[in-house]
Amino acid sequence: MENRWIAYLIPPLIVTLLLVAGSQFVFIQNSFYQDLGLGRTGTDLTLVNYLNFFTDSFYLKTFWITIKVSALASLFTLFLGFPIAYVIARMKSRLAMLLLAGIVVSTFVTIVIKVFGLIIIFSADGVLNTTLMDLGLIDRAYSIIGTQEGIVVGLMHFTIGFSVLLLYSVVVTVPPSLEYAAQIHGASRWRVYQRVIIPLCTPGFVVGGLMIFNMCMGAFTSAALLGGGRVLTLPVLVQRTVMMEVKYSTAASIAFVLLVSVILINLISLIAIRRLRSARLVIA
Amino acid sequence: MNKITKTFTSAAVAVGLVAAVATSASAGEFDGVTLKVATWGGSWKANMEKIIVPKFEALGGKIEFVTGSPASSFAKLVAGRGRAPFDVMEVLDAQVGDFAQVDYLQPINLDLIPNKTNIQPFQYNNTYVGSWFTQEVICYNTEKFSELGLSAPKTYADLAAPALQDKVSLPDINSGAGLANFGGVIFAAGGDEQNIQPGLDLMKEINATKFWKRGGETKTQFETGDIYAAVVHAGWCARAARAGSPVMSVHPEIKPGVKGLAKEGWLGIMKSSENVAAAHWFINEYLTTDFQYEYAINSGVFPLNSEAIEKMKSDEINARLMEMDAGNISKMLRIDYNKVDKTAWIDGWNKTLTTN
Repeated sequence: MENRWIAYLIPPLIVTLLLVAGSQFVFIQNSFYQDLGLGRTGTDLTLVNYLNFFTDSFYLKTFWITIKVSALASLFTLFLGFPIAYVIARMKSRLAMLLLAGIVVSTFVTIVIKVFGLIIIFSADGVLNTTLMDLGLIDRAYSIIGTQEGIVVGLMHFTIGFSVLLLYSVVVTVPPSLEYAAQIHGASRWRVYQRVIIPLCTPGFVVGGLMIFNMCMGAFTSAALLGGGRVLTLPVLVQRTVMMEVKYSTAASIAFVLLVSVILINLISLIAIRRLRSARLVIA
Repeated sequence: MNKITKTFTSAAVAVGLVAAVATSASAGEFDGVTLKVATWGGSWKANMEKIIVPKFEALGGKIEFVTGSPASSFAKLVAGRGRAPFDVMEVLDAQVGDFAQVDYLQPINLDLIPNKTNIQPFQYNNTYVGSWFTQEVICYNTEKFSELGLSAPKTYADLAAPALQDKVSLPDINSGAGLANFGGVIFAAGGDEQNIQPGLDLMKEINATKFWKRGGETKTQFETGDIYAAVVHAGWCARAARAGSPVMSVHPEIKPGVKGLAKEGWLGIMKSSENVAAAHWFINEYLTTDFQYEYAINSGVFPLNSEAIEKMKSDEINARLMEMDAGNISKMLRIDYNKVDKTAWIDGWNKTLTTN
């Protein structure tokens, strides 16, 4: 029976391999040939594009910034998203479904519109700056465009809806009875969070955090619009290298480094978490 | 019916038939032809849809637009190894050298472009026909400059004033105006096509936190108060003025005797095009007074058509923000891209002005 269902998966697998893996393979294959500009490549296999990447401080700094803003955005998104997800998960009224539906609907709004909304809010004459200036907290309008902070905010805006939905599905798996039991035994609300809810949700945090991180590492629009051409991330650099310089091999090598680094960071994180949990079990 | 009447009737019918055939041949000149044009979206495309498309449709054809920047159109061409998804393309002066290397354009038969007499002889050749040019200026908010006690800027270095920190927007090197304006800054700082360091130093001194990719961004940023000055083509300054921003333009002093910077647009026909006659027709229509004038007013570019230039002088905002004197226009800096190592310019820009 199981084998029959697996057979149904073969056609989509073939289509995926052809359309996604096939095109990726051609693109990545290009990265192993010297870039001669204007879409032309050398004929000999070489690692020169990768050597350029790992020996050029510009590329390395861009790589570091991409990881940094993605990690910060993931962390802050989890912090922001979890309380929202928790409150919705514990709601008994129909409002919970309404809120979830609202979040789902908000994900339909194209990211360009969302980012422009942010730009308006953070503009010199925008709500935030005028309020802060009226309160005397700042004497000059602060702009998020062209800053790493701006990209972090943009990435958070991009992933927050997804993170709430993901964490909601984690929180609903934790029975409220466990919280009541802890409270009956005298645990404070904070203690319940610390010792019951958060430990039980940790696997969800890890998986969710990694998923958000992966989305941020590949995010283009938020980084391009809020980076303002001043702060570059790897996806933006790939686009610039293809569109402006028409250097396909160089762009392919940057894209491949991005792909491999994301896979490695995911693997290392999962291995580290597994070891940590094993160590805890041994101690326990 | 007598013989004279019969002869007259036959002649009338014959003349009518010939006229009908001639009319239908002319009306159906491009029957079934779909011409694909690579151009910008927004007002650029809208102008074509308003003036050129109805005429082409009257001849039986259809025009489809492949919108995007010339850089993205070129990238599509390269990706398709010259098999273009369009017949005619807007080409920037900075791309002419790239096209020379890849040989994706076909010769233009200038006999099929009778409207070339509307423009100057140096504005067309066997590969390209000029379409427009832009006047790259410093556009600034006069009210904010007064508030800050700043006088009108004269050149790029004036944008480095401490009071303007975080309030200046420059074109990204990745934008259509990037290379041209970077070139202007380089020359103004005492460098040249090979020696770009003075330009990079000046750019660093200006310390613009915003590099725009589309000129429209500057219009919005003027409105929201995010910027007080921008290096942008005069057409965007005109659009900001039309939208109510208190802006004025200055053609920057670049070197002795050179004030202002011009960026040129050209049209080319793809080698892979199978609609060569229609492509020539399109280019010819591009040079008509009506279209050139409409284009200039709505998109802010400067027309090449001499009658359109004269008409444009009557527009108060354009007359205020653009240089109308032909002698002064001819003295504007035009970057010689044959001498430019684009990779070195982009590398220099990336390493000095981004990710820090």
